[in-house]
Amino acid sequence: MKKVGTPEYDLSDKLKYHVSALSTAAKEMALPLNITTHYPRERKRQPACFRGYMLFDPERCISCFQCSFVCPANAIWMKDAPSGRYYPTVDYGKCIFCHFCIDSCPGGALRTTKIHDVAYKTMDEMFTSTEEMIEPPEIIREDEGVVDYVIDKEDLSLKRTKEIDELIVDVEPSQGVPMISVCVDRGSCLACKVCDKICESGAVSSVVEEATMTVKMGIDAEKCTGCGLCVKECSMQILRLVRK
Amino acid sequence: MIDISGLIGTIMNNPVNIPLLYVIYDLLLKIPVLGGIVAFLLDFTILGMPIVKYIIGFVLWKPFFTLIIIPGFATLGTMLLVLPWLERKLVGRMQWRVGPREIEPHTRGSIQLLADTLRFLFQEVIIHKDAHKHYFLQFPFLYFIPVLLPLLFINAGAAGHPLVPIQTDYALQIMIGLVSLMPVFIIGVAWAANNRFSFIGAVREAFMYFAYEIPFIIAVLAMIVLYGTSNTAEVISGVNQSTWLHWGVILNPLAALTFFIATAMATSRLPFDIPEADQEVAFGPFVEYTGIVFGLAYIMAYEKAYVLAAIMTMLFFGGGSGPVIPYLGELSYGIWFVVKTLIILLVLVNLRGVYPRYRIDQALGIGWSAMLTFALVALVWSIVIGVII
Amino acid sequence: MMKMAAETKVGEAEWEVKIPEKKLKDRLFFENLKAMVIDTQMCSRCLTCVSICPSKLIVNEEDIVDFPDYDKKCLDCGACVRVCPRYDYKPKSGLGDYIEFTAGQSKRFKGQDGAMATEFIFSAIDMGLIDRGLFVDRDEQWRTSVFHVRGQEQLEKLPLGGTKYVFADVLPELKKAVMFSKVGVGVVGTPCMVSGVRKLQEEFPVFKEKVKLVVGLFCTENFHYNEVSKYLIEKGVDYSKLIKTDIMKGKFVATMTDDEVKFKVSQLSSILPSGCNVCTDFTAVESDVSVGSVGSVAGFSTTVVRTEVAKEIWDYIKKMGNAEVGEGKVEELDFLINHKKEREKNIKQ
Repeated sequence: MKKVGTPEYDLSDKLKYHVSALSTAAKEMALPLNITTHYPRERKRQPACFRGYMLFDPERCISCFQCSFVCPANAIWMKDAPSGRYYPTVDYGKCIFCHFCIDSCPGGALRTTKIHDVAYKTMDEMFTSTEEMIEPPEIIREDEGVVDYVIDKEDLSLKRTKEIDELIVDVEPSQGVPMISVCVDRGSCLACKVCDKICESGAVSSVVEEATMTVKMGIDAEKCTGCGLCVKECSMQILRLVRK
Repeated sequence: MIDISGLIGTIMNNPVNIPLLYVIYDLLLKIPVLGGIVAFLLDFTILGMPIVKYIIGFVLWKPFFTLIIIPGFATLGTMLLVLPWLERKLVGRMQWRVGPREIEPHTRGSIQLLADTLRFLFQEVIIHKDAHKHYFLQFPFLYFIPVLLPLLFINAGAAGHPLVPIQTDYALQIMIGLVSLMPVFIIGVAWAANNRFSFIGAVREAFMYFAYEIPFIIAVLAMIVLYGTSNTAEVISGVNQSTWLHWGVILNPLAALTFFIATAMATSRLPFDIPEADQEVAFGPFVEYTGIVFGLAYIMAYEKAYVLAAIMTMLFFGGGSGPVIPYLGELSYGIWFVVKTLIILLVLVNLRGVYPRYRIDQALGIGWSAMLTFALVALVWSIVIGVII
Repeated sequence: MMKMAAETKVGEAEWEVKIPEKKLKDRLFFENLKAMVIDTQMCSRCLTCVSICPSKLIVNEEDIVDFPDYDKKCLDCGACVRVCPRYDYKPKSGLGDYIEFTAGQSKRFKGQDGAMATEFIFSAIDMGLIDRGLFVDRDEQWRTSVFHVRGQEQLEKLPLGGTKYVFADVLPELKKAVMFSKVGVGVVGTPCMVSGVRKLQEEFPVFKEKVKLVVGLFCTENFHYNEVSKYLIEKGVDYSKLIKTDIMKGKFVATMTDDEVKFKVSQLSSILPSGCNVCTDFTAVESDVSVGSVGSVAGFSTTVVRTEVAKEIWDYIKKMGNAEVGEGKVEELDFLINHKKEREKNIKQ
């Protein structure tokens, strides 16, 4: 075990450090390096994968409930739509913008934007319904310029350009952790074929062979998106999601 | 029966000499309409006494002028307005950020303090039911006593032209005594608030008081021994700090260093803001104050800093001495005094951007080891120098 | 119930399931079940099929197993046919194999006689063999409901224990318990339910793994709630005052707080369910341990310890002193065993 104590300086070192500290302070007072972004007159340029407000595309949603299950803050509630499907609604009062839901969506229905400053007047407004999530929210753009932080080895400096940052970007949906579904207890399978019916990507197959009185079940790992619908619906609960 | 004419005579015979005023007066008389009004006002008499002339003479009467304008209340007030703003801006620059800005970007945020004062005026003063109501409200006001009294003795002048309200041989001792009285009021403030954080802050304030008081007194004693007088008028007289080579800081730098560090400790400035550390005791003794009383508590430290910086200027930096500005006469000494005090205050206040906070035991340690040593060496040194020079 | 977390268990991506032969080809499996078991009046209402069905077979208002819309909703998986004890009916009868024939009176619990069924389940929980047991509860009108017990403190508030002589939906609850449980489940049931559980264990390994203790009850017959409550009310029983129902020495005794109603059991033959009419198993020969009132003195329950698991629990009970050990007389069961064996002739082939 190493004993760690304060480093020992002798008097000349101490004086040197005092002088250097005070002189740095004086220099900064005279010629400061300023790294403040004067929001809202200018915005910092965020990278494309910035974790901001989320937009939703109902066409791609398969109602697998993965976003709702994975949300660490319990901010996503699934509400039923007339078509029988369930779509997510996000409570931004609870959302911590971790974007686990976007990572875990197998169909890429949720996507991110660079919008980070949406204002609400009441707490109830923060519970965003599905219809509101399809279009970008209304924000007032006061900014005239964009700030980039340029880091060159150890120097930090700002670069200001007069352009307006586009906030809705097209980003590749992330892969997340690729998972596939597997059966962990073959003997208990009922051959009810519910997994086959519910699978959206056609990965589960069931073939009834009259001749041998058997049902051949199979899960194609290539097609499986890891959405977990079959795991949820299996009546004997013998399917599990494992890493690919 | 009061001898009115005698009184008026003493007043009118002891003005602060500012030649600029005469120049302005001449200029004003030449402007047609305004000149007529000014001339009329100056000759305006009631019962055979030219009132306006007496009023102007009263304002320029030396004790009144030095007490109210320079280096008294007006300067103090201006410092209180200017200093926090300068502090915030400069410390912000040191920390790579902008200080207050959004109040009005064109003025660079200098009216931030006006906005803060308005906020304090309109905020409700909450006195919680456990606080001792009367002391809670009165102590911040009573604090003005030990802060404003030393203003009577501060000399803003230079050799031969003392700008001081009262000249007495015990000036420095009275000022030290009053400065020593100030922490008692802070402890009183904390006690009246009846809150555990205030209590911790008060105890820490008491510890700090214990740490810096002795070296502070010995450093001032060293300077008194060196100058041979504790009369503030004579401290900056032709004998003592005549030329800049004879400034106190050159003659006795150790005493200056000790005094400066003691000032930092006394006014709770980083690195010694132990009683009010935000992250530890949530602003210490003043935690229960809101509204205008909070404003008063907030500027208590700045007032004390001004008084101590003024004493430092007087003792170590030659008071108001400096190149004479033409036409300003004796006002130039005042202006130099203010400039020097401001510079010292700026250095004091901007230390918070440079140094981290000391722990209470470390502060007590250096108070009783390093600073006491320096002060005693300074005392011996000044005795030696006093013999030589 | 959503087991979504990734586990390090490696599973299979392909497997085969053997489905049973259909007696009626070209028909759905439920139609087979209906034709062979339900319409032939052989259904014992053990509800094994209901517990396993993925599309929710249910019990309808007349307390008969049914599947409305089966032509649209039946998935034709064959699970119901695989687990039904009456589908390829091989009737069990007699006393069965046993390790020890004894009697006991629980010191911890109060039940119909000696509360030994309750004692076995709770001792198994104490031993760590199972983490939950299934018990039949009743409301003020003596309608039954089933719930899971995990510890002794749950018994203090409820009037558990005590035979209700009414059908209860134990096996669907058993499937839920098996899905939830991590250690094991214990169940108490009539002989038809015990046969159903054994068939489940034979066909589906998850039940073999998870259902660790099966306690069988001595049973001559059970009744549908609507029919028996009507009969008893006509006989003068006030359900709000009813404390205990018992069948002793051929007489049905309903004990109320201030009164008692007694009549011969044979009078109930008009409401005897048809499924019980073809049942030949009196002592639940397939269980781990059988418990009943016949064969021991009043206040004691006859305990027939059949398997190693039950022996372990019985030894534990004796070691902890949780029950008074009594004497069981094998001869006293003979009459009822033969009485039920005669029902074999009611089975239509």
